[in-house]
Amino acid sequence: MNELVIQTRDLNKKYAGRYAVRHLNLEIARGEIYGFLGPNGAGKTTTIRMLLGLIRPTMGSIHIFGKDLKKEKMNILRKIGSLVEYPSNYGHLTAIQNLEAVRRILDVPKSRIDEVLDIVSLTKEAKRPVKGYSLGMKQRLGIATALLGHPELLILDEPTNGLDPEGIHEIRELIRSMPKQHGITVLVSSHLLSEVEQMAGTVGIIREGEMVFQDTISNLQQQASSGFHLVVSEPQEALQLVRGQGYAGQLENGGLKLDQLSDPEVALLVKRLVDNNHAIYRVEEKRRTLEDIFMQVIEQGGFQ
Amino acid sequence: MGGYFNILSSERLKMSRSYIVLLVLVSPLIAILTGLLFDLDKSTTPWISLLMVMSMVHALLFMPIMSGIFAAFICRYEHSGGGWKQLLVLPVTRTGVYFAKYTVVIAMLAITQLLLAGSVFLVGFIKGIHAPVEWDIMLRSLLGGWIACLPLAALQLAVSMMWSSFAAPLALNVTFTIPNILVANSGTYGPFYPWAQPLLATIPGSQMDGGGFGALNLPFESLMITVLGSFVVFFIFGWVYFKMKEV
Repeated sequence: MNELVIQTRDLNKKYAGRYAVRHLNLEIARGEIYGFLGPNGAGKTTTIRMLLGLIRPTMGSIHIFGKDLKKEKMNILRKIGSLVEYPSNYGHLTAIQNLEAVRRILDVPKSRIDEVLDIVSLTKEAKRPVKGYSLGMKQRLGIATALLGHPELLILDEPTNGLDPEGIHEIRELIRSMPKQHGITVLVSSHLLSEVEQMAGTVGIIREGEMVFQDTISNLQQQASSGFHLVVSEPQEALQLVRGQGYAGQLENGGLKLDQLSDPEVALLVKRLVDNNHAIYRVEEKRRTLEDIFMQVIEQGGFQ
Repeated sequence: MGGYFNILSSERLKMSRSYIVLLVLVSPLIAILTGLLFDLDKSTTPWISLLMVMSMVHALLFMPIMSGIFAAFICRYEHSGGGWKQLLVLPVTRTGVYFAKYTVVIAMLAITQLLLAGSVFLVGFIKGIHAPVEWDIMLRSLLGGWIACLPLAALQLAVSMMWSSFAAPLALNVTFTIPNILVANSGTYGPFYPWAQPLLATIPGSQMDGGGFGALNLPFESLMITVLGSFVVFFIFGWVYFKMKEV
């Protein structure tokens, strides 16, 4: 694990006696895409607002780029680009004027406006008032705004919310290119696992304000296999044989249902069955989708 | 100070692309109309008389109401498009943002006041007034009228930041401004009512025939105590509120 860009310790936010975020320890390493997952109302946006200094934590500390957010807020915010909840913009201004309003505060060269418009492919529409933009275009303008100040860290809250599949794909590709092309660390939140699994390296799953899973996506995927299904010519006899080899299994839908097995174990088992003149029609690995695992984590508050 | 000048420049851009700036013209235009219809012949101090006539409605109603409109407007585009979030995640301090917004509001009021001054001179020129301009009294009137609006602008900025509705702060503003018509006539309450101060500061009561009426006889200095006191209260209230605000 290399240097941590975001690190929170025992972060808490309490609203009217109820914890919106509780004991949250977020760890995000430089150059990675971190998927921040959880159902609506789990505390994702609250966490992000705390990371950006929009609200104060009730308790706990936030370190970004190794600095304390409370003490060095200005220096930290200068290096963060963000998009919180829905895209923010001034409807009466054009995209260029919207970016100019932010540019004057960030003090970056004017040419940067054309650069970011180009990155989000909005150059053609840039001179129209933002009022008439589609949600996807506003979303892209929001990302352009976030990129304006050459950030080292990008915090995107539900950036694909409300977009059509094409828009989702576009934004996803854009986010995926960030660490490689620009060396930017990305925190992207979503309530859909399928949306982040294709871009994130690490995921954190939050439920009722508490982190219930934080690990790499491949470790999450390893939880996905839930056994094998064997379709053979004589299931009854085959089951006897399998049990004779010391594996647990049962009959199901005219086939055999087996528990999780390693690759050599599968190979050996198939060989035994063939040697005993069973015809094998199919060997299927039963995979739960990540969505199923996600649901399990959400419902049970972790892996049992 | 938290990028104050950068924010100011950004605010100017956001504000300038909107028709609301044309509102600065409304009151001076009405004042010109009133001034042209006024008969100056008998007046011994024509410039003062003209100023009084032209700035009566301006100082009584328009300036206090404009304070509310400009303040509400400068917060409106932040409330409607999620602008507060976008603005406050930039490297700016809340104090910087608050001061910059306040600066824009009072600058708009200053422009309105300058246009009114211009209108007075324009009408005087059209009417062919030959008497020398009484600069000291006129400047004190115009500057005093503007300064008396500063607390109102501070209060309106505070409530406009608090309430995401555009209408609510304006309703509050109008509710407090309308009683001016009565309060300004009262020697007892007039001096302590912040909304009446723009009128009291603008109209040089001592110059009126018979020395003015109601609260209009008060010396300039005592008016400024009410103005300063309410300014400190309103401004600090808004500033502290905005620093604590959860966005």
